Amino acid sequence: MTPAARIDVRPFACPLTYVKARIALDRLASGQVLEVWLAGGEPLENLPRSAAEDGHRVVSVEALGGEAPGAWRVLLEKGRGVEPCR
Amino acid sequence: MPLSEERIARWARQLLVPGLGEAAQERFAAARVRVVGAGGVAGAALAYLAEAGVGTIWIDDPENVAPADAGAWLYPPSAVGSPRVAAAQAALEGLSRFAAVDPYPTGGVPSAALVCAPSVAQALAAAEQSRRARIPHVVVEVDADGGGIVAVPPGAPCYACARSTDSAGRPPAPGAAAVGALAAGELLLLLAEPTRTEGRKIDVVRGVASARPTARLPGCACGAASAGP
Repeated sequence: MTPAARIDVRPFACPLTYVKARIALDRLASGQVLEVWLAGGEPLENLPRSAAEDGHRVVSVEALGGEAPGAWRVLLEKGRGVEPCR
Repeated sequence: MPLSEERIARWARQLLVPGLGEAAQERFAAARVRVVGAGGVAGAALAYLAEAGVGTIWIDDPENVAPADAGAWLYPPSAVGSPRVAAAQAALEGLSRFAAVDPYPTGGVPSAALVCAPSVAQALAAAEQSRRARIPHVVVEVDADGGGIVAVPPGAPCYACARSTDSAGRPPAPGAAAVGALAAGELLLLLAEPTRTEGRKIDVVRGVASARPTARLPGCACGAASAGP
């Protein structure tokens, strides 16, 4: 599965980690995949959950290992999103 | 143009609201919103628009701050007697440096309007002006129980079709401010979704809000003129 875009949110804290991902997802078409590099801990707990709540699919979550020790790679497939609040 | 890092940080939580996002935030920044009436009803609404990221706010109000306006979110008691526009500018200046707040310029061409006019006649006139200009607008009407909010995207039934005709009395200042803030939120939704064509009315009765689609009155000029003035 080839990501259409990749972002690195390791320098950011929540909620900016997911804000960055959300903006990147907004720029993709439905079905395209976004690769997100993020730090462990709170970002790793929150970002996949928030993405799933917004209607996107969490394809995989894996440690990056030697490529970037301590970091994680999350693949998100853009869904149709949730309806605007009215 | 992508949002700057500074703007992303400024509106981080708002960007996560369903229906908003980067494109909506850019529309807010580009918007020129005419706010008709800057009394107590508009106080919280003006603060909301500025803090939400609306780029230009034009205040259309020739009156001075009245004693009843003081304490309604925007105006301190010391502002009583000074022009509302100047007092609102001073109050909003500290809320967001991304918002330009100015008096409504002669010949200005707004991209949206929020009508918080003090009388039905003024509200009808401002709403009709907005309809003819084909800009999204929201009209606030307050009464003793709360009030109503009429959202009019271009082409939707006009304010005259949807306005309340049986309301009376004025609500206490906090209630009016709450209805005004809800109206500002409604205008932001119209800006966020420019393709929306259906209007709606929100009635607020003793703190409980209910929404319904607006319907065109038979024979109203807004139906014949939906393609233009």
